[in-house]
Amino acid sequence: MGDLLSDVIRKTLTGFGERLGDFGPNLLAMVVILAVGLLAATAIRFVVRFVLPRLGFDRFAQRAGLSLILQKGGITVAASSVVAVGLAWAVLGVFVLLAIGALNLQIAMNLVSGAFTYLPQLLIAAAILILGALISGFVRRSVLIAAVNAGFPSARLLAGGVQTALMVLFVAMALEHLGLGRQVILVSFTIVFGGVVFALALAFGLAGRDLAREFLERMSRRRDGGDDLRHL
Amino acid sequence: MSVPLPSSVEQRLHEIGEVDLLVGIPSFNNARTVGHVVRAVAAGFHKYFPERRAIIVNSDGGSSDGTPAVVASSDYASPAALLVSYPLNVVHKVVTPYHGIPGKGSAFRTIFAIAERLKARACAVVDSDLRSITPDWIQLLLGPVIQEGFDYVSPLYLRHKYDGTITNSIVYPLTRALYGKEVRQPIGGDFGFSGRLASHYLTKEVWESNVARFGIDIWMTTTALADGFKVCQSFLGAKIHDAKDPGADLAGMLVQVVSSVFDLMHTYRAKWTEVRGAEAVPLFGFPHGVGLEPVAVNVERMLGIFRQGARDLVEVWQKALDAETLAEVEVLAGAEAQPFHFPDALWVRVVYDFAVSYHRRIMPRDQLIGSLVPLYLGRTASFVLQTAASGADEVEAIILHLADEYVRSKDYLLERWR
Repeated sequence: MGDLLSDVIRKTLTGFGERLGDFGPNLLAMVVILAVGLLAATAIRFVVRFVLPRLGFDRFAQRAGLSLILQKGGITVAASSVVAVGLAWAVLGVFVLLAIGALNLQIAMNLVSGAFTYLPQLLIAAAILILGALISGFVRRSVLIAAVNAGFPSARLLAGGVQTALMVLFVAMALEHLGLGRQVILVSFTIVFGGVVFALALAFGLAGRDLAREFLERMSRRRDGGDDLRHL
Repeated sequence: MSVPLPSSVEQRLHEIGEVDLLVGIPSFNNARTVGHVVRAVAAGFHKYFPERRAIIVNSDGGSSDGTPAVVASSDYASPAALLVSYPLNVVHKVVTPYHGIPGKGSAFRTIFAIAERLKARACAVVDSDLRSITPDWIQLLLGPVIQEGFDYVSPLYLRHKYDGTITNSIVYPLTRALYGKEVRQPIGGDFGFSGRLASHYLTKEVWESNVARFGIDIWMTTTALADGFKVCQSFLGAKIHDAKDPGADLAGMLVQVVSSVFDLMHTYRAKWTEVRGAEAVPLFGFPHGVGLEPVAVNVERMLGIFRQGARDLVEVWQKALDAETLAEVEVLAGAEAQPFHFPDALWVRVVYDFAVSYHRRIMPRDQLIGSLVPLYLGRTASFVLQTAASGADEVEAIILHLADEYVRSKDYLLERWR
């Protein structure tokens, strides 16, 4: 009995040792890859933070309105820092996937494969969001200036509303592209926009007839300006 | 690059050969008014230049109301009414469509090309919707060129004190400070120029740009000034024409005019950075004043837009204006002191800051100039209040004071430009 027990224990420990021996290099490789990834991410962050400002990226971000969007989102650091951190995390993410792949486990392999398949969709969605931010910022500024020049009292509200509407559109496009809750996004978008338009139609068509008439008369008076000035 | 002309026009020019005088009339759907302009020009040729070979060139942008036919059939053939006793020479006429980007500049380019082909010595261009043009205008626009040797004749009109506020507060004083010449109305619209200058204009590569669309007037004046041509002015009296809706699109107007001036600052930066002071240019004609119809001005609306701009456009003005300039503008907008007064020095710094920001492309240029509108309205409101009880001479003195401030502050511009 004692011999049998010893034999079982010995075989179990031997088997564990063998499996550990087989798996050890993979584990070590994972740790090494992670360490390299951390170093690479840190280096990327440092280089990008050094180079981008010197290439005028922060000035471009100011002109394009990207800095303003970041500030509205509570991010007060320079746009080049945001890009540097984003790139560093992206690099680290790639190394994490590689590290997982180094374990050579089927589940891990499937995860890595799926991640790399999904990566282009993520990049395109990110591009859609960045493009949306640029376009909505440009449109917001144009609407704001035009509304102020026309003497429209709620110029900032109007400009902000237009920007928000555009960003919602672009976020919906990005999410739809990622395939995240396609039906939910589509239905929500339709309900919200349709509802807003329907509400406005009801307000102006029925309940706000007099208000609408006053508004239009005010706009007409503003357009006439009440002066004969020839500016040129 | 030569300017393409229809073969029938080429044939006609070949038949005519050469002329001494040319008057160009750009047009687009001006059938109601162009007949009067043609008759006035023809009468001017007959009365003041009876011995010269003369031609009227109509450069038309594709009118659908019969404008070219009206031009072709209009003439002036009454020597008694002109108080002359000699028979009237033939005044040639050429009616041609113009090619290129739709706009007055493209029409002028065709006129310049015909002037060069015909070796015209003195030329003029007049608007096709003028109601106040008289034969005297022809003598005043062509005489200084053909008789006195000038290359460019800028018009000087009799205007209401509140007319031309963009000209009075920006274009005139800025052009004066930059190029050092006292040209009072640099974007008048009716000009005289020598054949030599017409050929010079044709050498410039601007005909695919905004110059062709809407910037031709200031471009002609600035090019003549910056490239060293002999410039003078002629007093033409009141300019009455089919007014476009005056306030219809102030922002659009400001963007067109101011962006043209700022673009030319880039083109001629080597010239204006070296100029100091401003000198008078000769004035022909007989300046006089007559009563003009009063102009209604809504000062409260202007001040309202200025104050709203200070509230809502700070994020834009922060990029366009120097910090100190912006701070002063904000104080001014918030002040309740009466009467409202936008100081000359502050206004000049605003314009110079915008010129520098335009040059550095800190944001899309249309947006940048569009954001100038509330500031311009604030300045205009201040001007209207300041001159409410002033006569023409006093108003002119106030405008000259502003122009001198532009000259005094030029170092500020130079410092920021570099």
